Amino acid sequence: MRTPLTLATLLLTAATCAAQNTNFQNFVRQVQLPDNTVWNVPVDAAGEDLSPLAINPGGARFELHTVSSDPFVGYLLDTKYVSAYTPVAEVQIRTEDPYETVPRTRADRPFYVDITTNGLLNGDSDPEASKRVKILHHVQSYGPGGDGSGVDRTQASLIGQGFLESNGTFRMTYAVNSVPGGDRTKVRGEERFSVFSLADYQSPESHLDSLFVQIWPVADGTLSGITPGQLIRFQAPTVTISVNDIYPDAEIYAQVYPGNESLGTVGVVVPGSALIIKEAVPQNRILTLEGWDDVMTSDGVWTMELLTSTPFGIDRLAHVTFTVDRTISVNGSVTTID
Amino acid sequence: MKTSFFPIILLVALCPCGHAQQQAERKPVYRDAATHEDIVKRMRHVERFNPMKQLAPSEGEDPSVKNQPVNIVDSSDILSFNGVTTLVPKKAIMRIPDQYADRVNRHIPGYKVVGWAEFYTLNRGWITPVEVSREQAAGRTPIAEEVQENLRENRNLLIATFHTGPISLLPLKVEEPTVTQITPETPAP
Repeated sequence: MRTPLTLATLLLTAATCAAQNTNFQNFVRQVQLPDNTVWNVPVDAAGEDLSPLAINPGGARFELHTVSSDPFVGYLLDTKYVSAYTPVAEVQIRTEDPYETVPRTRADRPFYVDITTNGLLNGDSDPEASKRVKILHHVQSYGPGGDGSGVDRTQASLIGQGFLESNGTFRMTYAVNSVPGGDRTKVRGEERFSVFSLADYQSPESHLDSLFVQIWPVADGTLSGITPGQLIRFQAPTVTISVNDIYPDAEIYAQVYPGNESLGTVGVVVPGSALIIKEAVPQNRILTLEGWDDVMTSDGVWTMELLTSTPFGIDRLAHVTFTVDRTISVNGSVTTID
Repeated sequence: MKTSFFPIILLVALCPCGHAQQQAERKPVYRDAATHEDIVKRMRHVERFNPMKQLAPSEGEDPSVKNQPVNIVDSSDILSFNGVTTLVPKKAIMRIPDQYADRVNRHIPGYKVVGWAEFYTLNRGWITPVEVSREQAAGRTPIAEEVQENLRENRNLLIATFHTGPISLLPLKVEEPTVTQITPETPAP
């Protein structure tokens, strides 16, 4: 059986984002099962071709690796299993974050998993491995402060599995993640959804497709240097903003507005408080605000809020209400000698 | 005039996330940062309506921890010379002459990792690729005697290739000879 190498080249195309740097060299491998003959497939950087290495009855696994020159490290980017009658499966994960490199979301937000299968058979005489595939759901914590680099995915916890027995797209909605962790606002890790073929007479259960979604913690922040109910008479105090676990795509800012705190009020951004984060992992920041008197244009009750704007909306992390009274009242009397 | 709702339905169906994003662009959603208690409530919902429960139940070992692809560096022999390095599958090297032993499995920091074709182009002088068939690679048929004879006189490092790509050459599978039970003759009493 001649097998379209389109699979391998698709893998290669998918990996170009990760491996376009000249420091990296891609390798496509075809591993024949069950004897494990390994062939380094000569392929161009883009395009498609037919593999001249016929697939055994046990199938073959196509692997896309990339190796960096410095440091000398290999990474497995993707893998596909192909055999005579094994169905094709694809996992997609949708979140509210449009980031394209890897699906990601926040510890309090939902995500959606679509598993699409094609080629499942249902005849009485069809092999068992052609009739259904196995779906696995793993969770894994990166640990306190972890960012997922160097994570050993064989240590992930399997929290669910089941058989999918019909072609089409199976949709799953998760209101929130299940990454292990005591404080649910501070979990950081990933959830992985995998599709495996069933073991057959010549091949073991084999990986068809998988994808993981990264879960990052909810940010927390404080405004220090100003206290609730404080009276500001002359110069505004120095305020320190401290924010932990800022979402990788976020803006942080403090705003003030007249009156008591009221969620959703749009105020004036305090100069020096705005920060834009475009990273791959959460960040911590400390900012100091000085000389911010000009934003308070009148005497009375004012509120300062610390906000973070993310793909999920605008979250208030902290707020403080205080009073401004900068009018000088002179109590006196005027008399004459008459 | 008939109004068709199909395009609207299609748009809504295709963009479940985009829709939320568009709404967010129109009017920002303000909220207090979620608390542990908020999220625990949602977790209970997930536990009660776990979508995995819609699947036919399965049990057994986790297939993702066995039969996994091995890291390519660990499962390769590494050739390094003259500023470049490449990786070939284990068992693809058929012979390493003594004078080239220091060019195998010794990656030198700073060397650039390249594909097999580029490496071979730069190192033709000491490497000879040996084209094998699929059957030979799988160890089901031996390499022809005359080819082996020619290779004996070759002093280069030999690499098994299939359609110009390095391939592991499995040991020849020898058919088990039929064992005939030979019973020693019982000495006459």
